[in-house]
Amino acid sequence: MMTSRLIGFARWRAATRRGRYQGSRCERTPLSALALAVVLLGASGVAQRPAWLSFAGADRFMASPAACGAETTPVAAPVAAPIVAPVAAPVTAPVAAPVAAPVAAPAGVAPPLHQRIDHWIARGWETRGVKAAGRSDDAEFLRRVSLDLNGVIPTADRARRFLEDPDPEKRAKLIDELLASPDYALHMARLFDSLLTERRVATINSYDVAAPAWQAYLAGAFAENRPWDRIVRELLSSDGSEGPIAAGAKFFLVRDVAPHQLTRDVGRLFLGIDLQCAQCHDDPRFDDYRQADYYGIYAFLQRTMSFRDTEKNVSLIGETAKGQATFTSVFTAKAGETQPRLPGGEMLPDPPAEKDKLYLVEPGPKTRGVPAYSRRLLLAERLPRADTPGFARNIANRLWAIMLGRGLIHPLDLTHAGNRPSHPELLGELEQFLVAQAFDMRALLREIALSQTYQRSSEQPEATATAPDADAFAVAALRGLSPEQFAWSLLRAAGRYDASRPDASRPDAAASSAKPDLPPWRQRQKQLEPLERQAKAMASVFAPLPGQPDGEFQPAVDHALFLLNNPAISGLAQSAPTSLAGRLEKIDATPALADELYLSVLGRRATTEERALVDEILANASPSNASPSNASPSNAGPTGAGSTGAGPSNAGPSKAPSAGASPTAGNGTATAAARRDALQGLVWGLMLSAEFRLNH
Amino acid sequence: MSGSDSTRSDRLSWTRRDMLAQTATMAAGTFASGALVTALADSQRVFGSERPAGPAPVTSTGAGMPAATRVEPMPAPSAGPAPSGKRRQLLLLFQSGGASQLETWDPKPGARTGGPYRAIATSVPGVQIGELLPHCARNLHRLTVLRGVNSGIGDHFQGHYALQAGRVATGYPVIGSAVAKLLERPDDILPGYVSIRRDAPKAYTDVGDAGFLGARYEAVKIVNNRPPANLAAPANVPAAALAAAERARQAADARFRRGRAAAPIDGHDTAFHRARALMQRSELFALEQEPAAAHERYGRHEFGQHCLLARRLIEAGVSCVRVVHFDWDAHQDNFYWHQIRCAEFDRTFITLLDDLSERGLLEHTLVVAVGEMGRTPQINNLGGRDHWGRAWSMAMAGCGVKPGVIHGATNDEGTEVKSGQVKLGDLFHTYLRALGIDSSQMYHVGGQTNPVADPAARPITEVLA
Repeated sequence: MMTSRLIGFARWRAATRRGRYQGSRCERTPLSALALAVVLLGASGVAQRPAWLSFAGADRFMASPAACGAETTPVAAPVAAPIVAPVAAPVTAPVAAPVAAPVAAPAGVAPPLHQRIDHWIARGWETRGVKAAGRSDDAEFLRRVSLDLNGVIPTADRARRFLEDPDPEKRAKLIDELLASPDYALHMARLFDSLLTERRVATINSYDVAAPAWQAYLAGAFAENRPWDRIVRELLSSDGSEGPIAAGAKFFLVRDVAPHQLTRDVGRLFLGIDLQCAQCHDDPRFDDYRQADYYGIYAFLQRTMSFRDTEKNVSLIGETAKGQATFTSVFTAKAGETQPRLPGGEMLPDPPAEKDKLYLVEPGPKTRGVPAYSRRLLLAERLPRADTPGFARNIANRLWAIMLGRGLIHPLDLTHAGNRPSHPELLGELEQFLVAQAFDMRALLREIALSQTYQRSSEQPEATATAPDADAFAVAALRGLSPEQFAWSLLRAAGRYDASRPDASRPDAAASSAKPDLPPWRQRQKQLEPLERQAKAMASVFAPLPGQPDGEFQPAVDHALFLLNNPAISGLAQSAPTSLAGRLEKIDATPALADELYLSVLGRRATTEERALVDEILANASPSNASPSNASPSNAGPTGAGSTGAGPSNAGPSKAPSAGASPTAGNGTATAAARRDALQGLVWGLMLSAEFRLNH
Repeated sequence: MSGSDSTRSDRLSWTRRDMLAQTATMAAGTFASGALVTALADSQRVFGSERPAGPAPVTSTGAGMPAATRVEPMPAPSAGPAPSGKRRQLLLLFQSGGASQLETWDPKPGARTGGPYRAIATSVPGVQIGELLPHCARNLHRLTVLRGVNSGIGDHFQGHYALQAGRVATGYPVIGSAVAKLLERPDDILPGYVSIRRDAPKAYTDVGDAGFLGARYEAVKIVNNRPPANLAAPANVPAAALAAAERARQAADARFRRGRAAAPIDGHDTAFHRARALMQRSELFALEQEPAAAHERYGRHEFGQHCLLARRLIEAGVSCVRVVHFDWDAHQDNFYWHQIRCAEFDRTFITLLDDLSERGLLEHTLVVAVGEMGRTPQINNLGGRDHWGRAWSMAMAGCGVKPGVIHGATNDEGTEVKSGQVKLGDLFHTYLRALGIDSSQMYHVGGQTNPVADPAARPITEVLA
């Protein structure tokens, strides 16, 4: 019984991990009645299981046995009580409402949020019997926090300074430095671009907002730390015509201003609920996903339409003054009608209007309709509010996931009574913090970064038989770099990112250099402009399909082929005046060279073994091994060999027994060429390592 | 082989007029009479070596033909390698958009829902299929047809996933990834799963992947028969640099692996191994090595050319090759579109079977032709048929299935399954069993145990050999 329950749970986990739950709509349940019976019978084992296991799994099962295939009718969930009831989990608050400060904090001054984060996370380990990893070392932390807050690995200089800094407060200072950096705004702009558009592009029906304008809008917003509620209000209210928020119309335009797509994504991205199934019927799996909720959102958006201004080649957002949201369940044929209403909120009827005063501007073939009463603007006003159920929770959960690689509610857009947060009290606290700080995202990211939870190592504590579950947050997750993080980090490792910045290691120096009239993020963007196209091209190889959120790390053969064979990558490792390989060429002594190499690419010093390896590879780089372009690029090194495997070209006579072989005099040019080849290989190899590809 | 190319080319280059003339001959007779003999004789003239020895009974529940009349060698039932010791393989021809069962395997001529086309006699006595599939009709004794598929799904995205994953719950590997995993051997160098499609649209086709099996079992995606991008080593990189790169990467990964979760690190490493293996077999994608006659026989259209590449990949030992055949989603002008699609499918499908058979591959290769759904019996006012998951058809051939069996039936208008109903989970079990894989086993991946196939479904024993 126990085993069966575990299998069922594993299936559920597998099914939900990827966040593509829309695939499971409109069909009979994956759990047959048979499997369900097994689950039910398994309830007798509840007492022996960790609470979290029974909890999430059981609810999910109970909610799922239903169907919408044409021949089936929804099956009432049989006897939920035996599974759910006996669980003594510390979880009591329903997810639908903000949690009212349940912190067992001492009276008086509440500890700062980052300590409360650690409190709740540690409490989770007790109930789960999980052993946590130790604190990350400085290099691990520096790389992680640089990627998470600035979207790019640190420079070798920055790494060296950080590692040598004796200040006990250096981590907190680093966090503030990164949050104040112009790279923060640029990184968040890229991150929220993929989050908000999911890499869609407008079809031929709409002109898209130009990428630079959209990037500038987002980067400007994050540079001034614009509150999230305001950003969402701007996205939903922009008509695309003019002014500072014109580019915000992108949210509508990449969805072709299609009301159903917008309804779904407003729910997913701003409220953390994916109501897709409820377009056609109440969701048979989750009681709280109702068709009336779907059409309540839809009613805000159904009158919105795209208007193509063919003279100016822009698309604008127009709206009519007519149209009511009616719906019929494909299950029950029950019909309904709704005014605009947010899930859990009040019905918002249109005000009475005289027939000839419906429009400020009548819609026509050449004019964009502007109604006297705009439901879309009503949405922009009513949705981004602290008291809108789900609004604050959604962004709190998403910011957590950005930092920790996984949401407290997971998948991020599947909030419902059966999919509880792993740490409901903590999520409540994050939500409350955001509300109290007027949706200050930077402040929340700072608190998360300051927590021990965030600063944990990705090395598992010794003697753990199996890795703790990801939702225990006991060991730092290995996450793939986003396509953009990967591309920009490759450019930085190669030395290109900072080539245009004379003193890149000092943020103050960069800020003071020229064009004082531009904001710092704009100056940085201008510096990076020559690399933008290259970064985008590299990122596109690793990007998910349009319309899909960035998901888990999924290395694929075509990624590997790109990294191995595309000249864009091997070229990054080539020697050039400002490239890393070029820098390394000028360093004679191996320890210094190895350190510069490893600090530049991996953000850490080389180990003893790695220094020896660099030593050996350089020592073997004799002219006989140097292979100018005429050499056959035989397919790389040993494919199946272990770390000690020698490359095919090592069979030459120059393979010295020790690392002491020095280049012979009188053959200087050839020797230099051989050394250059070896250095290119070293840089390239580290760029291809898992350690580089992952955020850890 | 090459000597017979021209003959084959001739015999397959049937015009529509030929086809209809042939159809008329066959349809004119009653099946118990001498007309059938004529028809079969005709069929024998065309496909002599593969004609059944004589009429055989067929039932809707799939009793099949007597063993003596079976054309294809029968592999051992269920588990175990094929008789030759070769690994079994899967060739999946995925009819993206949803083919109409009424214009293909389950015609209803004369019915309100039947549409304009006739049904034609086939090499299986008493069984007719749509006139748009004349080659299939002459080869029906080699095929296994299911006429009672009820998947209940009328959505492209969900259908693409569910019909390939054998369930609706997301996150599971699709059949190609499952086969790549379950038939994997330690010394494999080629990818276990290759998917071939045209350039667009990709939205539907790329739904579903290796799920929890991870990227190692993802399809290598071939677009428009182009070799995978970046297959050739860069010309200007010195061998010494390549060797140094590999050593530095391996050393860094070995250090990094200590104490850390293995899956993402191993996955990253595996992708490189696979990439290198593929680089060494780049000739697989050199379709120009195929004689012109082969290009003709497969058809000079996307699907045909993609199938030609698929045959090379099956020949090379890839465990599962999927070819996506696009544009079956005929909401308008269904009958026009099906004429084109069926012409492409019909000839190419049989060519594939012939080729695989001649090369001795068919005895250990299962060929499956299925889409994400069928099409509505109801004809809409644009002359189209819409999405339909309740009662539709599909076909299989090759190893592990009984040839000449027509399993399941729908009612007179094709609106309900009357007998032999199968669900999508049943199909998944059946594919696995036909490939000699125990479909009741579990995956053990990353500390989790998951059933390979939906435990609530079962293999369709009536069609399994």
